[in-house]
Amino acid sequence: MNKIKSLGLIIGLLLIVLILVIARTSNQNLFKQDAQNAIESATKSGNSISLVELKNLSEEYLVINLNNLDNSNSTQFQNSINIPFESLLEKANRKILNEAKGKIILYSTNISIASKTWVILNQLNYSNVFILQSEQNPEVFKYKFQPDTTAKLE
Amino acid sequence: MNARIKLSVLLVAIGILLAFLPFNAAKSFYLKPTELLLKSVSDEIYFSVDQVARFVNNEDSTIQLIDLRSEEEYKECNIPGSINIPFADLLNPDWEGYINQKILRNIFYGNGDQIANSAWTIATGLGYENTFVMKGGLNEWYKTVMLSEFKGERITPRENVIFENRFNARKTFTQINSLPDSLKMQFLAARRLKETQLDGGCE
Repeated sequence: MNKIKSLGLIIGLLLIVLILVIARTSNQNLFKQDAQNAIESATKSGNSISLVELKNLSEEYLVINLNNLDNSNSTQFQNSINIPFESLLEKANRKILNEAKGKIILYSTNISIASKTWVILNQLNYSNVFILQSEQNPEVFKYKFQPDTTAKLE
Repeated sequence: MNARIKLSVLLVAIGILLAFLPFNAAKSFYLKPTELLLKSVSDEIYFSVDQVARFVNNEDSTIQLIDLRSEEEYKECNIPGSINIPFADLLNPDWEGYINQKILRNIFYGNGDQIANSAWTIATGLGYENTFVMKGGLNEWYKTVMLSEFKGERITPRENVIFENRFNARKTFTQINSLPDSLKMQFLAARRLKETQLDGGCE
């Protein structure tokens, strides 16, 4: 009994460590994914979907319109909901994302916003998230560089 | 129970606790989601192509342009002074010294806005500072800087400054990208020397 009593301090310390570890691992408000996962998902499997692919999609999906409501250029889609980028992580919006069935498709008139949102959601462990590309792949170089054959060292 | 035994029990118990923790060698984001979102909504992370053209013309040594495109695309043409870190290779430890530093301002660019913004979010999430994006990417650079022309009879002083900036950047871009790789560095060195002589300075 005396031995157990003298171990009290040690047990107490261990309990504190254990509580801290559990609190950290179960904290919803932290990124836990490997950052490399975002790069691999974006490059190898592709994280974009075209308008045509969306039109022909047979499985369930939810389009997240990231534009502000006052954006008149914003296209309207079926099965869509408006979540402005600034309020993406609000509790109510996290609930919508958690309950979404099938693919989550991010749409914004500004591809930069959709890209940043995709990385944030990927790192928050949301899988099945795609960026809706309204134009042909924006990462294709649209021009052809014409070298100047007379260029030389001056 | 003496202190030595107590300490031994404590260390063994901590060891067991650590042994059962999930091993995670992954590189996770350092910022909290709300902190990253707050930084992401800011427009201060962007430089326009005209600003980047000015950096190129001035050979600004406080910036580091990072071309995120593939090696083949980079070899075909790139913004003078840029280094090539393909997006797929962004977290390669070989590049960490370039990306994770506090001295230079890193400006990411791709052909469009998608990969540069993804790279920015990843780098910023990992806590790397001084990270920016060239808005519009190389497509915007080409449209604005390479294909710019002045139409009209009169030019205002402001328009003239903008046009001259674009014209000089275009000239450097074309000259350097027309040279074989081996001569590109020599060209930059020669140009620096010429400017020093024009300024009346010495090497």
